[in-house]
Amino acid sequence: MFDVVSPSPHLQRVHGRAAVAFAGGRLTDLAQAGAAKAMLPKMHGRAPEVVFLNTAGGITGGDRLSYALDLGAGDRAVGTTQTAERAYRSAGGVGRVDTRLSLGAGAVLHWLPQELILFDGAALSRDLHVEMAPDATLVMLETLIMGRAAMGETLAKLHLRDRRVVRRGDRLAMLEAVRINDADLAHCSPAGLAGARAVASLTMIAPDAMDRRDALRQALPKDGGVRAAASAWGGRLTARFVAHDAYALRLAVARAIPVLTGQPLPRVWQI
Amino acid sequence: MAMDGPTAMPTEGLLSLMQWLSPGFPVSAYAYSHGLETAMAAGEVNDATSLASWIDAVLHAGAGRNDAILLCRAMAGDDAAMLSEWAEALAGSAERWEETRAQGAAMARTLTGMGVPGVPDAPYPISLGVAARALDLPAETVAGLMLHAFAANLVSAGVRFIPLGQSAGQTVLAGLHGTVQTVAKDAAQADLEDLGGAAFGADLAAMAHEVQEVRLFRT
Repeated sequence: MFDVVSPSPHLQRVHGRAAVAFAGGRLTDLAQAGAAKAMLPKMHGRAPEVVFLNTAGGITGGDRLSYALDLGAGDRAVGTTQTAERAYRSAGGVGRVDTRLSLGAGAVLHWLPQELILFDGAALSRDLHVEMAPDATLVMLETLIMGRAAMGETLAKLHLRDRRVVRRGDRLAMLEAVRINDADLAHCSPAGLAGARAVASLTMIAPDAMDRRDALRQALPKDGGVRAAASAWGGRLTARFVAHDAYALRLAVARAIPVLTGQPLPRVWQI
Repeated sequence: MAMDGPTAMPTEGLLSLMQWLSPGFPVSAYAYSHGLETAMAAGEVNDATSLASWIDAVLHAGAGRNDAILLCRAMAGDDAAMLSEWAEALAGSAERWEETRAQGAAMARTLTGMGVPGVPDAPYPISLGVAARALDLPAETVAGLMLHAFAANLVSAGVRFIPLGQSAGQTVLAGLHGTVQTVAKDAAQADLEDLGGAAFGADLAAMAHEVQEVRLFRT
């Protein structure tokens, strides 16, 4: 009968680790274990695109995934994900995703993963840790979607800890830590989510990052359903986006990224 | 006569803290709206209810809680230079960074001029936290009173800009006491791993303030 509680599709805990390294313009390491994979499609002259994938199709309580991408001096790469990651309702415990990126002297990394979609009852702790040389260039994006409005999903329960830490040389250059609990979803404060369900943060850290502030502001939506603004300080340029609609947010982010990267979007991004 | 009964005098430390946190202490707190001016200009904050809701979120999910954690870590003896690096990395925008940096510098300058030793030129909660080590007060008390002063300053910005009646403004502040207490208690037990928040609207407003055409406040 349909009213029988079906077993969770994720009773088996998911573990996975994928690590990719470049040095001297060549792939020097590609390690994969468990559900985490990394693919390197042929790029025909463009910088290598490393596409990470969780073959389990999502994350739930107790899962543990880790990704790493290391660039040597002067190396260039784009890091992204095959599809939006999904954090499903946890039947117990917190899912963990750890990502480590490193950039040697003069390296250029565009870290542009697709969205993280959070389902009702998800419990997830993510840590993104970047170590970069002072003259390296990092562009990084994080997008959170709280439920899929188009599917009529509304979130009431969520435990999210999402930290992004960048060390540049011997200094902490960026600490962005999102903490969302049930109360944050319920509150309708205009200082909080105010009913918005899609947020993104796009950052560039590079010797010339702050010079791009005005160009980035020009590329941000001025009105309509996506609110966005940018600021530059401490060697860093950050734009934030807040919207009710995930697709509108994706389009706005997609227009802003090339201002920072000077490149088309990763090919797996289907806009 | 018992000294710790209801008639006990406030301690020297508590009196000093009240002085440092008073609107008359020259850190120019009144000049900063923490992005609230943008929300008021946009009409998102336009009455007592929306003002209370805005400040409540900034206290428990924004800079209020984070500053309280930094303050408590500074009081606990963490290195001020290390904490300052964290504060800058955590600041949500250029103006946010200036707000905490300039007020901290003014606090250090004033206290040093008063003969208080060892106050570093650091972001505001860190200068305050280091100075407060000598006050012999629990971190939770110092954090609570700092958050109260922060909330009072934002209420004052709202009263002037919206505008609201004085009684309505003070009622908003009184209504935030519970949040102030909860956040102070939480911060006193937190460590740097607990920094973070969900004040997406306030963070966006702080950035948008930089390009707002008419600005009465510095942030």
